[in-house]
Amino acid sequence: MKWTKRGLLFKPQDYALPNGCTDFAQSPQALVFEDFVRIYFSTRSRDAGGQFVSHIMFVDVDKSLRTVLGISPLPVMSQGGLGCFDEHGIFPIHVVRHDGVIRAYTCGWSRRMSVPVETAIGLAVSHDDGLTFDRVGPGPVMGPTPHEPFLVGDPFVVVRGVWHMWYIFGTSWMDSPSEPGPARVYKIAHATSADGVAWQRDGLTIVPDALGTDECQALPTVFECEGAWHMYFCYRQATDFRTNRQRGYRLGYAWSHDLSTWTRDDAMAGIDVSAAGWDAEMLCYPHVFWCDGQAYLLYNGNAFGRDGFGVAVLER
Amino acid sequence: MFDPARIETRPDWMREFAQAPATLLFDRFVRVYFSCRPGADANGQYISRAAYVDLNRANLMEVVGLSAEPVMPLGGLGAFDEFGTYPTSVIREGDTIRAYYGGWTRCSSVPFDVAIGYAISRDQGVTFEKQGTGPVFGAGLHEPFVISGPKIRKFGDYYFLWYIAGSKWIPAEGRAEPVYRIRMATSADGLNWTRHGRELIPTRLEADECQASPDVIFANGQYHMFFCYRYSLGYRGRDKGYRIGYASSTDLVSWTRDDAKAGIEVSGEGWDSEMISYPHVFELDGQTYMFYLGNGVGRHGFGLAQLDGVLA
Repeated sequence: MKWTKRGLLFKPQDYALPNGCTDFAQSPQALVFEDFVRIYFSTRSRDAGGQFVSHIMFVDVDKSLRTVLGISPLPVMSQGGLGCFDEHGIFPIHVVRHDGVIRAYTCGWSRRMSVPVETAIGLAVSHDDGLTFDRVGPGPVMGPTPHEPFLVGDPFVVVRGVWHMWYIFGTSWMDSPSEPGPARVYKIAHATSADGVAWQRDGLTIVPDALGTDECQALPTVFECEGAWHMYFCYRQATDFRTNRQRGYRLGYAWSHDLSTWTRDDAMAGIDVSAAGWDAEMLCYPHVFWCDGQAYLLYNGNAFGRDGFGVAVLER
Repeated sequence: MFDPARIETRPDWMREFAQAPATLLFDRFVRVYFSCRPGADANGQYISRAAYVDLNRANLMEVVGLSAEPVMPLGGLGAFDEFGTYPTSVIREGDTIRAYYGGWTRCSSVPFDVAIGYAISRDQGVTFEKQGTGPVFGAGLHEPFVISGPKIRKFGDYYFLWYIAGSKWIPAEGRAEPVYRIRMATSADGLNWTRHGRELIPTRLEADECQASPDVIFANGQYHMFFCYRYSLGYRGRDKGYRIGYASSTDLVSWTRDDAKAGIEVSGEGWDSEMISYPHVFELDGQTYMFYLGNGVGRHGFGLAQLDGVLA
């Protein structure tokens, strides 16, 4: 794989976002329309206690992915209810067309006492081309299981008769002197479903570790190209990853012929941090999609996407 | 009948409370699982632990044994059951004993959340080994939180799990209060559950009536459910506190509520004069008994009642 970077596509500080959001446009996810591409992302406001709450908005761009056409007038989903799994934000959202509607699989956040957060995957539906989404229910469609005990999130769905979902689950929380609170470790897994609602899971991880058992793997994105399946994801060390360039997120790569067994080969990712600029310290939250015969990679850079997301083009 | 505070030699983790009794019958004794608590922490918060007391089968008022340790450990950092095991329901499966338990975690905007864990004992119920570090049955699309109060039964080839599911949190003074109602799920293996998907027992007190402890027993051709119910707020006194309700069913799906047939009320005075809750009904040597909690929802232990008549 070889990706040519085009630079920042969307910088949130250049726009007047609703809800008082200024920084962060994280985890871009594309939905291709006939004459434009809608890119969902998570941005943040602060609540009364000064803590971040993530909201889902979108930006519409032209089909060459060079020009911003407009931004969402409001968050596309309401905040989760008191005590619900997504009460304190949604990050990220993943959208998929099916049967004339747009489904959104969300990663909902709620705050805990002994650890900072718990996440689970929710399900919402849009009947208006993705302007707004309504929850199918107030609870999660995919939460923890005996062998996927917490931090279930980062859904990415492909429908090929069978519904496939790649996602992450947490494997451990650990006290860490370098972090403000406990540090978490999470890994990529795979679920299947006949209807996209009831999912079969086996508690297994599917991408081997490159940084040891405490490697954190996040945000898988899967696409088909030249007879094989390709996965991008991001990975980092479990601690001291926020400002230490050597330990922060990079993009990883794996390939598969059967959607079940994956061979990891990060050296083939074909993209790395830049020498300077907005993506010089970290690369994270990749999203690959096809538009008019061209594969694009959307991704975040430094500070987990505080200054927006960029685009790269697959060279073939 | 049993109050851990009366046992001077009890361990620190069994300082007070004996909640949600559930029985397991042995040849010579009846093992009663319950949840107890050490003292509150500096913030006034409690952690529940699962324990048991053994009662003489020929005289249930006689204690013949007590668990030396909690029957299972608490969950680790960030796990769903890090802050408590309450309640526990057990069932024999060959030489093993399965336990389904409510695991408690602490949240930020609401005080807690609960999901149901699964553990197996291979030493006749003295200790249980958790089957994984996550819950076997937690929140779903239409059951968003507080999945608690498991009662495991087996009828025919199927396991039945009666439980409660929260439907909303009411912002109340000091802390939010959950509203929860009785539901049911079925399973062929006890691991993969199909939710029945609706609340089984209609409300009687108010729309936000809270229901708990759905304890089902089959007798005389039908299924009998004893449970407890209360008002959603202001429930810590006699007027709005827990009472024991009753419903019956012939198909396990449709239930007819008739609390007048519960056959038990609060006493005029004493340990169960303000509230009665968490019923567990079981048959033993030709008699039918009920364990239940009194004032303070088990702060002073549980009591025993004997059925006068038949379940019908």
